[in-house]
Amino acid sequence: MSGDDSSDGASVDGAPVDGAPITGSDAISGDPGSGPETLAVSALNIGTDEWVAQHETRTSTGHGVGARVNALWMSGPAAVRWGLPLLVFVLFPVLVSDGYLLRIGVNLGLFALLALGLNVVIGYAGLLDLGFVAFYGCGAYAYALLSSDKLGVHLPTWLSVPAAVLFTALIGLLVSLPSRRLSGDYLAIVTLFFGQIFTELVLAGDAVSLPGASDPVDITGGANGISGVSGWSVFGFSFNTNRSYYYLVLFFVVVLVLGLGRISRSRMGRAWRAIGEDPLAAASMTIRVNRLKLLAFVVGAGIAGLSGTIFSAVQVGVYASSFDLPMLILLYAAVILGGSGSLPGTLIGAAIMSVLPEVLRQPTYSELLFFVGLVAGVLWILKPKIGALVLAATVAVGFAINIVLLAVGVPYLSAAEWTQGVIGELLGRWLFVPQDRLLWGNVAFVLLIIAVAAFSRMHGRAKMWFLPLLLWLSVFVWMVRLSTEASLTRQLVIGATLVVLMIARPQGIFGKQRVEVL
Amino acid sequence: MSSPQASSPTRLLELSQLNMSFGGLRSLQDLDLWVDEGEVVSVIGPNGAGKTTLFNVITGIYRPTSGDVRFDGSSLVGANPTDVASRGIARTFQTVRLFLNMSVRDNVMAATFGQTRAGLWRSALGTPGARREEREVRARAEELLSFFGTRLMGYRWDQPAYSLSYANRRRLEIARAMATGAKMLLLDEPAAGMNPSETHEITELVGRLRDERGYTIMVIEHDMHVVEGVSDRVIALDHGVKIADGLFDEVAAHPEVVEAYLGRGTAGTK
Repeated sequence: MSGDDSSDGASVDGAPVDGAPITGSDAISGDPGSGPETLAVSALNIGTDEWVAQHETRTSTGHGVGARVNALWMSGPAAVRWGLPLLVFVLFPVLVSDGYLLRIGVNLGLFALLALGLNVVIGYAGLLDLGFVAFYGCGAYAYALLSSDKLGVHLPTWLSVPAAVLFTALIGLLVSLPSRRLSGDYLAIVTLFFGQIFTELVLAGDAVSLPGASDPVDITGGANGISGVSGWSVFGFSFNTNRSYYYLVLFFVVVLVLGLGRISRSRMGRAWRAIGEDPLAAASMTIRVNRLKLLAFVVGAGIAGLSGTIFSAVQVGVYASSFDLPMLILLYAAVILGGSGSLPGTLIGAAIMSVLPEVLRQPTYSELLFFVGLVAGVLWILKPKIGALVLAATVAVGFAINIVLLAVGVPYLSAAEWTQGVIGELLGRWLFVPQDRLLWGNVAFVLLIIAVAAFSRMHGRAKMWFLPLLLWLSVFVWMVRLSTEASLTRQLVIGATLVVLMIARPQGIFGKQRVEVL
Repeated sequence: MSSPQASSPTRLLELSQLNMSFGGLRSLQDLDLWVDEGEVVSVIGPNGAGKTTLFNVITGIYRPTSGDVRFDGSSLVGANPTDVASRGIARTFQTVRLFLNMSVRDNVMAATFGQTRAGLWRSALGTPGARREEREVRARAEELLSFFGTRLMGYRWDQPAYSLSYANRRRLEIARAMATGAKMLLLDEPAAGMNPSETHEITELVGRLRDERGYTIMVIEHDMHVVEGVSDRVIALDHGVKIADGLFDEVAAHPEVVEAYLGRGTAGTK
């Protein structure tokens, strides 16, 4: 670099001794004789930095419609970006009277609360807490025990809820005390054990031998759980409808988002993120690492405990199976999907992960979702023109395959025999559905897996030519085989969503791209 | 400047009979050294001489096997890294350890943790006190970043630290160490991996840290131009033993130092 010349001529004594601490480039570059050269050097440095800084924008901004929609949304003021979804959620119960939908709304809210709590632990402090769901259970059981006939205790809400939350936070503290020196894998294993211990304890809690009693005492109800839990009742208002709980949960979500948003931007949030990044460096920068780790654990546990109290009140009962591993997986999927460490990301991840399984229960909805997702995905990722071409080609491929299979004489189902819902009507004439759905579906499923593997090895043009066939095959597999197997489909779709996201946007929907070492 | 034998009015850091062993490996052996207030002391020595171990012992990452570390009148033995930093010794790392995914400004602001008070509730509620503290810390961080001139100037304060060039990461790490409120800085190879003009800047920067900001500085460095440029005094280590302590010219000409660097055979030919 041209800097070689300047370093020879510059003497060390040339450093400015007196005066202003904030000086321009002169103070740094020293030797006035080498002005132009050092300027060139610094310009080059700035250029390099800028180039690296723009890396994320350059790579994450796609070509398709998606990028434009995203850019438009992000250009809006924060008030609109937060206010519009909030308005939708506030009006939701007014527009919807269906109890089932309201219940989904309540579950969504509870899930969002949990995700917000987990986000503090994993997203901010970077602690891999796999026992998180147990805290949800702790809150639920604590509330249930204080508000049911199980122990014959019916505390008022203003007493039972804080007690349950404090109890859960205390458990969080106790779990984190021995594990505060652990990190990464070790912490994950210890907390996973804790989660299992919780389930075991609750299941075995229907026959506890107490010192004074001759017979075993039933505390948790074992596998039968605790039923008849009374609802929340605050200031004389009894929560007993899904609608009322919906607003209660929404209230807590809003309060938490506001509070956590502030904390995230405060010294506590910075310290948590610093610990998540590099605990040793954080400790060397006056940050009390152990104490803050405990605090993250306790805050996460407290939030989970609060959600638990609402959950057990809404459900009018608690059962150990609600706090199992699948719940934990969904929860982690939500936080990772949305973008660990990001509040809007966490909320969107929670929305996707709690609503998706419900939607996929109904074949009509799941078909709709599948096709909308497919078309949107193609248009989102590809340039609009190429995307349209690919979709048109997919339609053509479908008809071509129809002709071939008809000519060969494969027995098929007429449209009326298999279609249901809007999408089905449209597809009846296009998609070939063989009579033996099981066999054809299974074969096609294997072919699809092979095709996806092959697709991932292709490059450039070949990929575009192959894509229509791949799309047709996935539609075939979905309609012929998967749409009739709701539970399997749900898991497959959630898995596939995560895989696709990991490839397309590893930092999560709203996550900042994380760089470990450059 | 102070010569090694001169008794100094204010000894800021003093190590006496310090030993650090890892199993059978004695990384530091009966080490005696001191740093006076306002002094810039360089620690040199070949790879594996125990320089970084010395920093790790002072900053509480390792607990010395025996001996004492006294800073500002009290012992640092047994203090953890956070305590050491809070008591006034901040460091940079040989392998830069920034909070890469946090913004440049947040990196500096994070280091003010020990000097701020707002807890969880006050932060969540955004009380006037918490907001005022936040403003002060922000202003302080920006003032510290301005110390580095155009290198870390305004428009990149919101960028993530990973977007900085290597040299700027080292500068940011120094800014972060300054933000802890320490009065002594331990710089571990601040010029490593830098080009000649950047190396020259670092030399000036260390001088300015002492002259304009009044820091006492201990610096590990391999680049002898830097060592010559910044040091009031140079300490040479080899195999965990102090082999020389004095002005740059004295230490550079010291036979044991030459031997440590060049090997026994060439020692006589100098």
